[in-house]
Formats: sequence, structure tokens, C-alpha cells
Amino acid sequence: MSLQILLLVGLVLFSVAAVLLKDLIKAAICLAAASLVLGILFFRMGAPYAGAFEISVVAGLITVLFMLTIALTKTGGDVAESKLATVAFPLFFILFLAVDFIVTKNLIQKIVALPAAPEAGAFGEVLWKQRTLDLVGQVCIIFAGVLAVLALFRKRSKDNDD
Amino acid sequence: MVFLFVAVPLVVAGVLPLLGKLSKRVLPDILSNLTFLFLLVYAVTAGRQIIAGGPVNQQIIWFGEPVQILLGLDGLALFMLMAIALVSLCAGIFSIDYMEHHGAKANFYALFLVMVAGMNGLVLATDLFQVYLFLEVAAVASYALVAYGLGYDELEASFKYLLLSVVASAFVLIGVTVLFGLTGSLGFEAVGRGLQELQAGSTVALCAALFVAGFGLKAALIPFHAWLPDAHPSAPAPISAMLSGLLIKVSGIYALARIFFSVIGMTPFLSNLLMGLGVISAVVAALLALGQKDIKRMLAYSSISQVGYIVLGIGLGTPLGILGGLFHLFNHALAKGLLFLSSGSIQTATGTRNLDEMGGLAKRMPWTAATNLVGSLSIAGVPPLGGFWSKLVIIMALVQAGRWPYAVIAVLASVLTLWYYLLIQRKAFFGKLEERWKDIREAPFWMTAATVILALLCLGVGIFFAAVLKSWVQPAADVLSQGVTAMISRGR
Repeated sequence: MSLQILLLVGLVLFSVAAVLLKDLIKAAICLAAASLVLGILFFRMGAPYAGAFEISVVAGLITVLFMLTIALTKTGGDVAESKLATVAFPLFFILFLAVDFIVTKNLIQKIVALPAAPEAGAFGEVLWKQRTLDLVGQVCIIFAGVLAVLALFRKRSKDNDD
Repeated sequence: MVFLFVAVPLVVAGVLPLLGKLSKRVLPDILSNLTFLFLLVYAVTAGRQIIAGGPVNQQIIWFGEPVQILLGLDGLALFMLMAIALVSLCAGIFSIDYMEHHGAKANFYALFLVMVAGMNGLVLATDLFQVYLFLEVAAVASYALVAYGLGYDELEASFKYLLLSVVASAFVLIGVTVLFGLTGSLGFEAVGRGLQELQAGSTVALCAALFVAGFGLKAALIPFHAWLPDAHPSAPAPISAMLSGLLIKVSGIYALARIFFSVIGMTPFLSNLLMGLGVISAVVAALLALGQKDIKRMLAYSSISQVGYIVLGIGLGTPLGILGGLFHLFNHALAKGLLFLSSGSIQTATGTRNLDEMGGLAKRMPWTAATNLVGSLSIAGVPPLGGFWSKLVIIMALVQAGRWPYAVIAVLASVLTLWYYLLIQRKAFFGKLEERWKDIREAPFWMTAATVILALLCLGVGIFFAAVLKSWVQPAADVLSQGVTAMISRGR
């Protein structure tokens, strides 16, 4: 239990650091660390697949992409950031904790409903046979993203046309 | 095959970027408009037959294996599918000429089709998580489409839209997660039944608040509207027409109504909340629209105002109110689509969107002026156009329910609407033709054709409003009203 709490505190701290740090590389590393902790939490709570995906995709792949992008871009002029973020954040965090307290209490009371879910079954079975439309939806989102990249980075070919 | 509504636009969108290499213009134009036409014809002919015997949930067999692609088609879904197909066909026809100078037509149509597929999927979803997924499909495509011009303003507007829309999606996702945690299922019916047994008041209230904030952001209700007046004017005209005419309604109002009426259940508090948001949006956005100089920005504020009307009607929750709200949704989709398209015609001809610089354009662009007038009068609620009847039904419903203050405000907001639409007419089309616009010409054929079709539809819906109400809108409204009755009979 105490390890669980430590992990949760670590998750929050790394996430906050990822938002508030000015240095992009450090922020990206903090994000990776946060997702690593989240992945471990997933494992410990009996969701090994979610943990594996979290660590391999978010902590691994996406961090690489961030690093690549940061390395490829030049440092520009300083962007003036509003001081509001540092004030607003603790407020929202307290608000969130309050809401979380109400909801989680209710959820824990009602958690009995969970094992009776019709979506029970082996992971692959659930993914392919019961939630097929979700896969279609995911493919659609990635596809839309690819098309968006094609459309937004078409500048050069447009200039050629001209 | 209900799945075709999602699959066909997706497959065509997948093929288009490849075909775009062979033929830069003609093939994408023909193929995508044929797809929109197919969707419209299929919705009108096959859709009607499919639901003749009541709502269907269709399961797909894939390579001999039954897979869980469960899509639900009922009166409401069919009504929305028809509206989506109709406006996207007109926007597609308009794009043939309008997108000539933007380049990369194949990519444009591909994104457009993915957006349509996302909206169709959302309308047909039978499950909370699918609502979220298809919300995102349509949204991701629309971010790119808003930024399609690649100018500074477009990119800034798109980024603002992206950030606020992501917040909205996060709200929706948290709401879905909590409901899943409570009931252990995601299907609309199963969650509805599960919530019935649980009586988890405060948690369900939290979910309702999350959904109001999330879908309210998507529908751009005031006070969640900040992104819309930037995003909608920045997009290319056909996309503005799609976003204002359809996307805010499908991913905002439709999803909200579906979840509130058939999953969570409408309570008097929720009804009052929605009506309050609706009436504030209708009035405040109309006042904001009055001060605008950019024609597309004015139209964007008008969208917020009209969405307010729709939410006012649907939020009232009586059968007549729902009927009026949905009918206004349809009329607004047609008229606002028309107005954004004709603003695109003006922009193509004059190169400006500033109303103060225009004047007397009716002499040079008679078709655009005439169709714009029809659209304006329809939204403002002038008989015998469609918008008049839908506003009348909403106001009648408010009076019938004894909500006099709301009814009076709705009428007054309608006067404001007429005011700013007449401002557009006066500043853009009437008066003396300025020297600099001496040589402008009427918009190209396909652009004019699209606006004329929509203007005729506005007129037709107004004249044959009884038939339209009976055959299309009533079955859709019945679905939502039955949701209310089912909730009451289940003891809510």
C-alpha cells in the first residue's frame, strides 16, 4: 500500500514538473518518467497489457519523437508565459482532489458491479471480437492524423505547383 | 448495411491520396461528390426501409467470424445521417471550384470524407466509448481542415480550436470512464439500466456536469464558445459550412441529447440548466454578432446563437420542444451552410471578408445575393422559409410548457437575428456599387449551383414543412421523447 502511495505521489510530481518546467528536454523526460510510473501502477493493479502499452508507447516511442523534434528545432526567442499557470494549477489540483474524493468513494462502494461486466474475457478476444468497432475508430483517428500531416506539411509541393 | 455509412467514406478517403497522384483535380472532385451523393441516396432510400420495422442494431460478419461492430439506426440517427449527407454534398459541389486555388485537392477531400465518416460513426454509435472515439475522428480531421489555408490566422485558430477541443474530449472521456466504473458496461442501454439500480446520485451528477462541459465546448454554447468565432471563419468556406452547419451539432448537441435522454436521463435540473445555457447563448451571441465587421465572423456568432435556440428547444424536453429543436437543427444546417458558402463566393470574388469594404455587390453577383438573402431570412425566421416554422414550434412549445419568460426572450433574440442579417444584406449587397468592385464577376458555376440547391431546399422545407416534419423530424423527435418516457416508467 505504501509503495502504491509513493508511486502515485511520484506520478503527480513528475506530471506537474512536465507541465511547469521551461526546458523542453527536461519536460519530456519528466513526462516519460510519469508514464513509466503510471505503467508500473497499471501492472500492480492487474492490467498488464495497459501497463505494457503505456510504457512502450508513451514512455518509449513518444519520448523519442519529442526528443527528435526538440533536437531538430532551433531555439527561438523567449515566449512570454502567463504567471497565471503557477497560481491556477494548485487551485485546480485542490478542486480535483475534492471531486476525486467524492467520486472515488462512490466508485469503491459500487465496485461490485465491475466483475459482472459483459466485457470480461481474454484480452485479445475482447479487443478483436467484442470491441472491434473501437479498433476501427482507432484506425480512423490515426488515419485522420496521417492525412492531417500530409495536408499541413504540403507547403513545398504547393510552391512547386506555383 | 448500416456499416456502409462509415465504411464507404473511409475507403474513398483512403484511395484518394493515391488517386490524387494520377489526376490532381477531376478524379478527386468526381469521386468524393459521388460518395456524398451515395450517402444521401442511401440514407433516403435504404435507410427508410431498414428502420421501417423499428430501430435496428446491426452486427457485422467479417470473414465468416461475427465481430462486434454494433451500429444502431433509429429515426434520430437516420435524420442526422440525412442532414449530414445533404450539407456535405452541397459543400462538396461548392469545393469543386472553390478549392482550385488551395491546391492538394485530393488531400482536402480525403480529410473531408474522414470528417464525414467520423460524424456518421458518432451518429450510429450504440456505446459511450464509441461516441468518444468518433468524436475524435471528426475532430482530428477538422483541426487540419481549419488550418488548411496554412496562413498565420488559420494556424492560430486551428491551434486554439485543438486545445479547447482536447479539453472537451478529456471531459467526455472522464465522464465515460466514471460511468463505466459505476456500471461495468458501456452500451447505452446497459449503462442506463445499471444506473437505475445503483441510485448513485452525486456521481451521476458529476458525469452530467462533465458531459455538459465537454459537449457544451463542442457545441460552443456560451460560456464555452471562445474557440468558434476564430475557428469557423478561418476554415475554407465549404469547411466553415460543414463545421457550423453540422459538426457542432453532431458532436455537441446530438451526442449530448442522446446521452442525456437515453442514458443518464433528463431531470428537471438538467432541463433548466440546458435551457439557461441555451437562452444565454441565443441572446449574448446575437448581441456579439451585431458588432462584427468580418462577414464570416458574424455568421460564426450567429451559429452560437442558433445553437442556443436548438438547445433551448431540446432542453425543454417536451415532445413539442424536442421536435422544434431538431427541426431548427435541420433548418440551421441548411441555411448556415448556404450562408457560409455564399460568403465564400463573396470572398473569392472580392478577396475580402470585411463588410465595410463591400457594397452594391448584388448588381454584379445576383445569384449569390439572392441565395444569401434566402439563407438570411430563413435563419432570421421570416415566413414562409424553414427557419420560421422551426422557431415557431420552439416558441409554441415554450408557451405550452408555461415558460413565458423564455418564449419572450426567444422572440426578442429572433428580432436581433433579423437585425444583423439585414445589416449583412445592406452592407454587402445593397447600396451603391463601389468603384473597385466594377469588374468582379458572379461566382463560378459549381459554387453558384451549390448555393442555389441549398436556397431551394430552404424554400422547399418552408413550403412543405408539414411533410418534412411528419416524415423526417417526427420519427427523430419520437426517439428522444421515448427516452424520456422510458426513464419515467423506470422510476426516474
